[in-house]
Amino acid sequence: MADAPLLELRAITKRFPGVLANDDVNFDLRRGEVHALLGENGAGKSTLMNILYGLYTPDTGEIMLDGKHIDLGSTKAAIEHGIGMVHQHFMLIPVMTVAENIVLATEPRRMGVLLDYDAARKRVRELSERYGLAVDPDARIDRITVGQQQRVEILKALYRGAEILILDEPTAVLTPQEAQELFEIIRSLKSQGKSIIFISHKLNEVLDIADRITTLRRGVVVDTVPAAGATEEGLARMMVGREVLLRVDKHPAHPGEPLLQVENLSVFDDRGLEAVRDVSLQVRGGEIVGLAGVDANGQSELIDAIAGLRRPASGRIVVDGHDLTHANAKEAIEAGVGHIPEDRHRRGLVLPFSLTENIALHGYRTPPNSRHGFLNLGAMLSRARRLLKEFDVRGGQPSTLAGALSGGNQQKVVLAREIDGDPKVLIAAQPTRGLDVGAIEFVHRRLVEQRDAGRAVFLVSLELEEILSLSDRILVIYEGRLVGEFPPTATEEELGFAMTGGGRGDEEAA
Amino acid sequence: MSDLEPIEDAEPPTPPGQVPAPQQRFASRFGGITGAWAPIATTIIAFLMGGLVVLFTGKNPLKVYHAVWNGTGINWFFHIGNHHARVPFSTHKMWFPWDTASVAAGNLQQTLLLTTPIILTALALAFAFRCGLFNIGGQGQYTAGTIFAVWLGTSFVNLNPFLHVMLCLIAGTLAGAAWAGIAGILKATVGAHEVVSTIMLNWIAYWVGSYLFGEGGPLQGTQASIPISNDIAEGAKLPVFWGIALLQGLSIGIFIAIGILVVYWLLINRTTLGFEVRAVGFNPEAARYGGVSVARNYFLAMAISGAFAGLAGALDITGWEYRIGENDIQASTIGFTGLAAALLGRNTALGVGVASLLFGALINGTSGRQLDPSIFRPDLAGNLTTIIQGLVILFVGLNLGGIGLWLKKRRRPA
Amino acid sequence: MTAITARVGGIRWTDPKTVGIAGIALGALAFWLALPPLASRTQLLPILLGLLAIAAGIWTWSREQHRIGGGAVAAGVLGILFGVLATRSSEAHLDTVVVWSALLAATLRYATPLTFAAIGGLFCERSGVINVALEGMLLTGAFFGIWGAIWAHGWAPGWEWVIGLITAALAGMAMAAVHAFWAIHLKVDQIISGTAINFLALGITGYIFIDKYGDSGTPGNVADYGIPDVHLHFLNNWYFIGPILGQLNLMIWLSFVLLIATYIFVFRTPYGLRLRSVGEHPRAADTVGISVYKIRYMAVIASGAIAAMGGAYLSLGFVHSFNENMTSGTGFIGLAALVFGKWRPFPTWCATLLFGFSSALSDRLPNAYGNQWGTLFNALPYVLTIVAVAGVIGRSIGPAAAGRPYEKQ
Repeated sequence: MADAPLLELRAITKRFPGVLANDDVNFDLRRGEVHALLGENGAGKSTLMNILYGLYTPDTGEIMLDGKHIDLGSTKAAIEHGIGMVHQHFMLIPVMTVAENIVLATEPRRMGVLLDYDAARKRVRELSERYGLAVDPDARIDRITVGQQQRVEILKALYRGAEILILDEPTAVLTPQEAQELFEIIRSLKSQGKSIIFISHKLNEVLDIADRITTLRRGVVVDTVPAAGATEEGLARMMVGREVLLRVDKHPAHPGEPLLQVENLSVFDDRGLEAVRDVSLQVRGGEIVGLAGVDANGQSELIDAIAGLRRPASGRIVVDGHDLTHANAKEAIEAGVGHIPEDRHRRGLVLPFSLTENIALHGYRTPPNSRHGFLNLGAMLSRARRLLKEFDVRGGQPSTLAGALSGGNQQKVVLAREIDGDPKVLIAAQPTRGLDVGAIEFVHRRLVEQRDAGRAVFLVSLELEEILSLSDRILVIYEGRLVGEFPPTATEEELGFAMTGGGRGDEEAA
Repeated sequence: MSDLEPIEDAEPPTPPGQVPAPQQRFASRFGGITGAWAPIATTIIAFLMGGLVVLFTGKNPLKVYHAVWNGTGINWFFHIGNHHARVPFSTHKMWFPWDTASVAAGNLQQTLLLTTPIILTALALAFAFRCGLFNIGGQGQYTAGTIFAVWLGTSFVNLNPFLHVMLCLIAGTLAGAAWAGIAGILKATVGAHEVVSTIMLNWIAYWVGSYLFGEGGPLQGTQASIPISNDIAEGAKLPVFWGIALLQGLSIGIFIAIGILVVYWLLINRTTLGFEVRAVGFNPEAARYGGVSVARNYFLAMAISGAFAGLAGALDITGWEYRIGENDIQASTIGFTGLAAALLGRNTALGVGVASLLFGALINGTSGRQLDPSIFRPDLAGNLTTIIQGLVILFVGLNLGGIGLWLKKRRRPA
Repeated sequence: MTAITARVGGIRWTDPKTVGIAGIALGALAFWLALPPLASRTQLLPILLGLLAIAAGIWTWSREQHRIGGGAVAAGVLGILFGVLATRSSEAHLDTVVVWSALLAATLRYATPLTFAAIGGLFCERSGVINVALEGMLLTGAFFGIWGAIWAHGWAPGWEWVIGLITAALAGMAMAAVHAFWAIHLKVDQIISGTAINFLALGITGYIFIDKYGDSGTPGNVADYGIPDVHLHFLNNWYFIGPILGQLNLMIWLSFVLLIATYIFVFRTPYGLRLRSVGEHPRAADTVGISVYKIRYMAVIASGAIAAMGGAYLSLGFVHSFNENMTSGTGFIGLAALVFGKWRPFPTWCATLLFGFSSALSDRLPNAYGNQWGTLFNALPYVLTIVAVAGVIGRSIGPAAAGRPYEKQ
């Protein structure tokens, strides 16, 4: 490892309307190291890396490569300087082959005008062998796995001569095995002299793969520490700035009868693969059951099935005695299933609708909101007023468009609507994603309130602290199966272990 | 206080960096945005550019527009005096501030006759737009309406007049609904893009109509060498309340059209169906999560939209055309005028009403009957109208696009 | 059943795909056998063959090859229908209508403007910009082509058709530039801007036509200097091919060249790769340094030029005159062919041939059967396209990013 850093970002500041994303950030990268950039959502990690990749220009500060000042006004410039980025959302063209995607814009040519596909294929194979990234150059992107797609993205960067690789939350879309494979690849790249910036918010991964760790919090660098000797608690403290992670004050639960019963449920995902395998669970009235798991392990499909948005392949769903296995969304809602969807912009709210109309989205078919097909605007308005007040929604009147509210207030509207529907079972999917601390607290309090009112609350979240602080019982899902049940006193290690498939036999394939 | 980072899905339906699919943008861009200045500005620009075209070919645009204006009949409102008018459907006379028998009056009748179907074809588009659907098939649905109106109007010759008229109107409406419903079903079941299917249906209707009324066609009238149908029965004609029926007076169709405008407004704003349609138009995913059946609404929106256009056809037949020929079917472009009017009127009831009147006036004012050929050739004027329509459509799309973009840039951090 | 895979001549005869394609062929055969020169009179034959086709189709469908299976069933049904109709018609009538050489020559003539329009549309849509303005561009080319030629007659005799083609292309490019600017920079909805172009083209060409050529129409001698036919004298005595290929217009030959060039460009060159990437995932293309805007502009303007040249063929090479709205829907048939052909050059060409055949047939049918059937046949291309769009013959899925304006960050 050379002593002088390969790459230095000095005093980088970047401001967006209303938000200071990067505040006087200093960051350096040594040759051949893996340097992790750690922080919560909104800490400024992506902004910093986008600046490095030429997508944004910093307001102040400079970038030095090998001791020389460089200007990165465009991604082209960044690529020319040997900086490659693997985005969280892959920039791959689904209907084209691996080779075509990799050589795009720098294609090898035959006779000057024709595309030399054989040369491209050959080059891809060479790179693939050199760096240990096994891919089939002729496979179509939409037919290979996510892990393989990621390898194609890495190859894209390497093909263009990247010496510095930025990986933006690479494990967010991978299964645990694929993540381990990725780490192997990173180690191999490291041994070949590449330098890697690894963006993440997952403490255990960062400790596993990085040499040094820089923590960002609210746009400011907290510290840069070597990975050896760092602990998860220490890192968490740097990331979050609090000793103790948020725990909600709550009374013990008094669960009653099971209101949600799922028996031997099997659900297929959009690609025809079995996403939920033989899952049985129950949630009783008066308890919060938390479902923990790595993203894309079947949670979405499970929720969709319960909410009537997806047909199960087999099994049963019973809500308060009613068999809802073959119900559609409308019937599920009428039977008492409330659903706070995981994406409030795309699924929870109609942004160009007013708050009144959004609230009416649940219940517009029944009196007093409507009679014989005619809407009763007065009733809708008074209901909206009542709910906006009760849920302390700020930033607008009932006639304000939903799109004008902040994320936290938007989520409050969704909550208000679902809770006002008096559901027997309330599904909360990622209810605090992208929210600030105050809004998170509010949502948590309300969920506990619903539990105390006797409802069955089914919380599905990717955030372990949320699960641990809210749930009365914790289930873990891994590759579509329930692999464990834990009390709320379980540790993050125990849960993490189960979430990544530990403790089970190696029976099934991905 | 805004979030620092946007929510990202594991697999976003829209690739990042792009605006959402046209479907969703449509409804949010075109649905009931208040503010009349944009359409007014659009109209002014369109007329200005039309004037430039006239100027470019060596004629005086002011004279031309003045002649067109006189032809529209709207100048009728500006001559107030002491006149007597006959109360419709009776023989009484009463005092009336305007002269109901003047030339301008006659022009106005024609303008309003033209406005009637434009209102309805515009509503057809507007209703579909509200659901995020682009129904370019108004022309074909209109044709379907005319076919059924003529068919039923020429049959059952001795039926009670009220029943006969109702039969024709209902049949025309249902025919239009069914014709659009085909596209709706395709959209709802296999997701076929409604633009392609409605364009195809337009042309199918064009040729089926030509076949039906052409020489030797099944619905051709008794004059074997002329490709026109028979006249519909006297009892199937709508009552004319202003002017003389034989000289194409104004039938009560205009009131029916205005009534449908009100129905449209009620439907969109005051019913659960309208609520669902708008929700689907703005955000089908969120609507689905709220229990709304997106497929059902796509079908209903297309069918209702087609119903409007079909009624337009039926009203035209029973109101003044009374017959239809192969040439009429082939030359008609009323569906596309409705498109322009819907866009200009921003898909709101009031906007559509005003925009339809504008286009009705424009088309009438430039038609052969009204325009003095020495000032401007009518067929040139007809093409000028088409150009103006095109400009309106071009600039209407621009206004919203421009404003929307500007607003977006102000709100997003990037 | 599936264990038996007899390999004969390199083709797996029991493979579902092969059976399906055989079914489609059987359906076509059912119709063809009833036509001259064979003109079999028994209704049994088309029915039998058609049923075999349907059976093949159902079998193929059950083996998960839905598209080909559906196609075979459709071919079988149509084969029975038309075959039976043909057997019931008189031989004399059939002979009048089905003169294969004339039919096929006419097919090529009708298909050519469609080909130009569809290929123009291909470039545009492959870059991600929807183009419903093909009709307008075709019409623009038709008018400005003949206008340019008439103008050139005065000062460049012998070169009229070349000048005409150039003016047509330039006019088409101008129209396309408006569409491009509106759709790409102003990010207006592309269907709306396309529809506006159609209106403008109709109005502008009509206006200038009446203004310049008024009551008498375009001069009658345009036929003397229109786009020339290519006379292949050595084919004169060839039995069947001679009448078809011996006298085709230059533009028809150019359309073949265009097809091959398009295929090579779009699928075998780096530029085509970039074009397609911009249409599928513009953001991905942007991140590797491709200029999305530039490529889209070039694609849209190119489409205007190509489609306009197809229009010039109509006025300068086919009917040798211009009339208001003379294209009357041809552009939309071209769009239909593009959708039917799934945005690929050769399948699109097959679609244009099919639609051209239908037009040619509708031209000749009145000779024997009277006007109406000819008229009705004109609707066939549109019906077929709806069937295609409905997924019976296969889902038509275009470039993924088509219709969405690109926002550069």
